Amino acid sequence: MKKLSENTTDLLQEIKTEASELPKNKRRDFMLNGLKLTAGTALATTVGQVAASQSNLPPNVPEWSKTLGRGVVSVPYGLPSSYESDVIRRTVEWLTADKIASISMTPLHEMSGIITPSGLHFERYHGGVPDINPNEHRLMINGMVDRPLLFTMDDLMRFPSESHIHFLECPANGGMEWRGAQMEALQFTHGMLSGSEWTGVRLSTLLQEAGIKPGAKWVLAEGADAAGMSRSIPIDKALDDTLIVFAQNGEMLRPEQGYPVRLFTPGWEGNTSVKWLRRIEVGDMPWEHREETSKYTDLLADGTARRHTFVQEVNSVITSPCPEKPIQGKGLLQLEGIAWSGRGKVKRVDVSLDGGVSWQTAKIKGLVLTKSLTRFSMEINWQGEPLLLQSRAIDETGYVQPTLAQLREARGTNSIYHKNSIHTWQVQTDGAVNNVQLG
Amino acid sequence: MYNSVKKKFKTLVLAVAAQGLLTSTVAFADESKYGFGRTATQEEIAGWDIDIRPDGQGLPAGSGSVADGEGLYEAKCASCHGLFGEGEGRWPVLAGGEGTLAHERPEKTVGSYWPYASTLWDYTRRAMPFTAPQSLTADETYAITAYVLYLNEIVDEEFVLSKENFSTIKMPNEPNFFEDDRPDVKNTTCMKDCKDPASIKVVSTIAGVTPLEHLEEGAAETAAEAASETTHGKAIYNQSCAVCHDHGVAGSPKTGDADAWGDRIATGTEMLVKRAITGYVGDEGVMPPKGGNMSLSDEDVAEAVHYMIEKSQ
Repeated sequence: MKKLSENTTDLLQEIKTEASELPKNKRRDFMLNGLKLTAGTALATTVGQVAASQSNLPPNVPEWSKTLGRGVVSVPYGLPSSYESDVIRRTVEWLTADKIASISMTPLHEMSGIITPSGLHFERYHGGVPDINPNEHRLMINGMVDRPLLFTMDDLMRFPSESHIHFLECPANGGMEWRGAQMEALQFTHGMLSGSEWTGVRLSTLLQEAGIKPGAKWVLAEGADAAGMSRSIPIDKALDDTLIVFAQNGEMLRPEQGYPVRLFTPGWEGNTSVKWLRRIEVGDMPWEHREETSKYTDLLADGTARRHTFVQEVNSVITSPCPEKPIQGKGLLQLEGIAWSGRGKVKRVDVSLDGGVSWQTAKIKGLVLTKSLTRFSMEINWQGEPLLLQSRAIDETGYVQPTLAQLREARGTNSIYHKNSIHTWQVQTDGAVNNVQLG
Repeated sequence: MYNSVKKKFKTLVLAVAAQGLLTSTVAFADESKYGFGRTATQEEIAGWDIDIRPDGQGLPAGSGSVADGEGLYEAKCASCHGLFGEGEGRWPVLAGGEGTLAHERPEKTVGSYWPYASTLWDYTRRAMPFTAPQSLTADETYAITAYVLYLNEIVDEEFVLSKENFSTIKMPNEPNFFEDDRPDVKNTTCMKDCKDPASIKVVSTIAGVTPLEHLEEGAAETAAEAASETTHGKAIYNQSCAVCHDHGVAGSPKTGDADAWGDRIATGTEMLVKRAITGYVGDEGVMPPKGGNMSLSDEDVAEAVHYMIEKSQ
């Protein structure tokens, strides 16, 4: 470590050099810190950090190359690097009355690919996370069946299972912005969205085991949490791709995601994928419970309301740059984003740099799977121009992601749910990114 | 995994059959049933099958009057939902709002929005009171349902709700719901000259509503510190007390508000713990026994009180 008294000039030079590599909005703070050093009021840690970062850079040999590291099973269940400690779920506290019936968002700006680490999957609870002992958990099937059944977890896992990669999205994702932009971060505008590999048994397999009686049209899925979360699902969906899921991303579900077993309705609004599943009842009409009448219905401007709005229509957003990831400097820029559709595969994504005046088709990266996050990218040469960045996804049904103006025209601004409109990021000349809407 | 078998090491003696003589008795599955799980008994189903439908299917025998409901509501519901269903803090408003659904700021309540009375009965039994779900009897649920309908002027004050007359209740907003008919918008895939650049108006965000502290210098350390101070008292608090005390709902002293806590702390920790366990009616509000969560032990409550005092000094 360099001594402050002897090397103040050198240090200042280093600070200047490092600061020149930072975006302008960070540069000011960095320089201020540096100036404090010369005034003799600097914190030792600041000096240490600057000096240490130099001592680990070439031609010096970094300290971690000169000492042995940790051995195997020093961390039996692996954790992210301590340098990634700000990659966490976050909530917006004023959204809900308390944290037990609330929501947190995935840090989409830090995610790569189409899988969200299980510990970063967004959370939504209506009565908190129950601590369920799997040996004392049961799944019941009753109602219009030949034989009502009761399964242990071991029973369930003896049935043939399947694994599928799908997104899961809360229909309220983006719902704070019907009237205007107000979330200055991607995590809060779009973070009620995650992607995972889900493993489980088809619900149709279990319903066949119980024997569905003629006339059955709906099933009720009910959770074992303190909210007794319940949703009605049409029998066609129940017999199609709906899964009884026990594993996520290769391991048993996390408690936050419904441990030990949950329903999973691919492409449908997250609330229908009832967590901590304890019961499936077969019936001939919907139950019209609280979360399918009072909530999760879409109020229109004329006072009428759409109900049973299950499908998450096609949506997309640019994840880099975004407010949390400003552009780092002029030159070639890898613009990147995610698109998804509850009706099937994403067919195409277009990107606009000028607020929707002109569009270019982006490159699709990696896997294109049905009802899954799909990553797109585009290389642009940025020379400090202000931009209005947008992405517009089209799915395999031909449905084109709408503009916010089109959604407002059709629905007004009080729907809360299913706001899948084209999103706009404003890029400033210094690379900073703001959340804006176009009037 | 939770059910992994813990095996003892054994010396395995393998009887190896001569190749070609393995005449297996294992059959390929060809039946439509797997035979896993067992039949659920009527008693088991009765204990769990608590759902109610709009046609009344699922309602148990019983009844409750608006008058009975008033007392129950004030004891078990009003601390969050307000004495007249007006809602405390951000807790749901239950009454009022008629005729506002097409307004710029609609008020969606049981009376103004909910299409079926069965939803109210079902949800009240299934999930309320918030800190003690599935604790109400059938008669209590009828009574509270009747009272909330009365607050919404759907029944009169003499009304007694029962399984028999439930189907006579019609909610005023039922006709205004319709089935999903999306897609309801049609965008194009225009690629060039899609709009006049001069027509674009940029509307910025409303400043100051996004929690952005984590994007500032030193934020990671603060978050790590906050995460490390989890205690049992804090866990109990978050589970059962924060509902009211985080926001000062129903006259409760807000956690962290030294002014509100000063006089209370002066009465002594022992007294505060006692009041929290047995309940307390003060000038400003009502503290239900154990915050309404009777599954807590006295020790749990004491630890939560200690946590709150620590945070409020």
